[in-house]
Amino acid sequence: MPGYDDTFQTIEMLQSEHLDVRAVNMGIDVFDCADPDINKACKRVKEKILRCASPLIDACRKVSRRYGIPIVNKRVAISPIADVMAGHDINDLVQLAHALDEAAEEAGVDFIGGYSALVQKGMTVSDRALIESLPEALSQTRRICASVNAASTRAGINVEALLLLGRVLREIAARTAEADGFGCCKLSIFANIPEDNPFMAGAYKGIGEPETVINIGVSGPGVVKRAIEKFCGSGSCRGLGDIAEQIKSTAFRVTRCGELIGREVAEAVGAQFGIVDLSLAPTPQVGDSVGEILQAMGIDKVGGPGSTAALAMLNDAVKKGGAFASSSVGGLSGAFVPVAEDSALAAAVESGYLTLEKLEAMTSVCSVGLDMIALPGDTSPETLTALAMDELAIGVVNRKTTSVRLIPVPGKNAGERAVFGGLFGESPILDIRSDTSNDFVSMGGRIPAPLTSLNN
Amino acid sequence: MKDYILTVMAQDRVGIVRDVASALTELGGNITHVSQTVMCGYFTLIISVQVPDKCSLLEIRQAIERKGSVGELEVNVRPYEPVPESQIRKSERFTLTIVGKDRPGIIARATEHLASRNINIDDFYAYVLDGRFVMLVQVSIPEGVDVDDVRSEIENLGKEFELTAQLQHENIFRATNEVRPVIDLQRGS
Repeated sequence: MPGYDDTFQTIEMLQSEHLDVRAVNMGIDVFDCADPDINKACKRVKEKILRCASPLIDACRKVSRRYGIPIVNKRVAISPIADVMAGHDINDLVQLAHALDEAAEEAGVDFIGGYSALVQKGMTVSDRALIESLPEALSQTRRICASVNAASTRAGINVEALLLLGRVLREIAARTAEADGFGCCKLSIFANIPEDNPFMAGAYKGIGEPETVINIGVSGPGVVKRAIEKFCGSGSCRGLGDIAEQIKSTAFRVTRCGELIGREVAEAVGAQFGIVDLSLAPTPQVGDSVGEILQAMGIDKVGGPGSTAALAMLNDAVKKGGAFASSSVGGLSGAFVPVAEDSALAAAVESGYLTLEKLEAMTSVCSVGLDMIALPGDTSPETLTALAMDELAIGVVNRKTTSVRLIPVPGKNAGERAVFGGLFGESPILDIRSDTSNDFVSMGGRIPAPLTSLNN
Repeated sequence: MKDYILTVMAQDRVGIVRDVASALTELGGNITHVSQTVMCGYFTLIISVQVPDKCSLLEIRQAIERKGSVGELEVNVRPYEPVPESQIRKSERFTLTIVGKDRPGIIARATEHLASRNINIDDFYAYVLDGRFVMLVQVSIPEGVDVDDVRSEIENLGKEFELTAQLQHENIFRATNEVRPVIDLQRGS
């Protein structure tokens, strides 16, 4: 039995700091379901998802009961559909989206990711069809999450694809206008997309992954926040290095719980255990916020000077604790700053301290990027493209993952409020100070890979 | 050689373990397990020892008692009897913690509940400091007992006494406090 202090520290983490497992994601390969007949393809994909994922809910329930630790989200990620469905047109893809939606509902999972295309160097016919199908697919289904990898350090930035996505974002928003453009919340656009990310909307099952795999997202930011508050309140803190140590040891414990539960779920469903993603993924619930961690570290107004440094330290300490805890760390593994999903960040935007520019700076030291950003409804497709290009450039040059989830909210302007509901939260609409880069963006083509890509 | 289990209780002082160990060595014995603690200034020791067949139970006891002053060491010796295979239960280890304001009857009530659920206590530690009660118990929950039900019952029992009670699987403590790979826990090592 561990020492008494260690025992009570663990009890404290479970009880007062509300440790949970944020996401259990089952990756399922569906390449073997491809068929030129769309009806057959839909039937086979649905059957395979149900066959593989049906035991998932029961397994999560059993493991959760055994350890008394809640598993918050159960999800499925499938192979990138643009590749699986090569040769099919937009109508076929929309039909498949409905089949996936039904499969997710029947399997009891809240989201299914993998309605995805990898277009960093160029688009195939089916990649283009998938992107063009997004307005229909995302507005007509509830559980589908889509992602497009439009840039990588090895390939550069596919501006052509981003221009198309700029137009598609406006169209998705228009089709879900009554819900403030909610459809856009289910589309992430990436640079250097990971193949094993368990978090939505960007989860898909990479083609280098096994037949079925369980990837885990560890507990949310609340655990880290309360650990910092407790430590600072104890009067033991003699500098930022001490806080970093606290974050590291908390990340260690959280990661170990995640791996323990992930491995047991994987064994129960007969899948390979994949990775633990260390990312601190906030929810709109008060106390479950990356913004509040920064506040606990002494950043009074999130977005004010010092915010980037605090976030960098947080991100680094989480990685160090997690990397020591497990050899199976993967996915995104950094702190998320999704504005609408994080009540403290949304409040900081409201009070004017957190701007689009500061958010962009902060994303250069963490994951994921300009995430869940509500924008004026009349933001032009070119400006949406330009914002995405800026964020993806940070990822491409720094050899890291970045992404954007931009929501042009129909009929609303900067300062008004967008409400997405549930885990997607709400946020004031951010101001774009200048939208005059149209000539640059409209040239299209591809920004070549940076020199850092030549590392062989 | 014959196996014995013996206990020694005394007011604590330096050298009791040395005295007991030397008495057993002088008899030609070999100690195989030891567990010792000091609580509120009192020393307790439990030992598993192999002693030559010629030594009687009384000789072992007297050899130890002679090492202390008159009446100082309270010694009990019993021949060791292994637990029959039929009584070895398939079970998993959990840790029960109860913390809060002290009041009489908590331990009696909690252990009554554990016994009624056929849950064995392997290790028990509790203290009261400045009116705050802390109890830490390692238990074995037999296969077939619904852990989630037991957990709810324990939590409700805690509420009844206005205490915080938690039941947690041993693996969680091991995963969060040991540096060995998590996969070792899954493999049961």
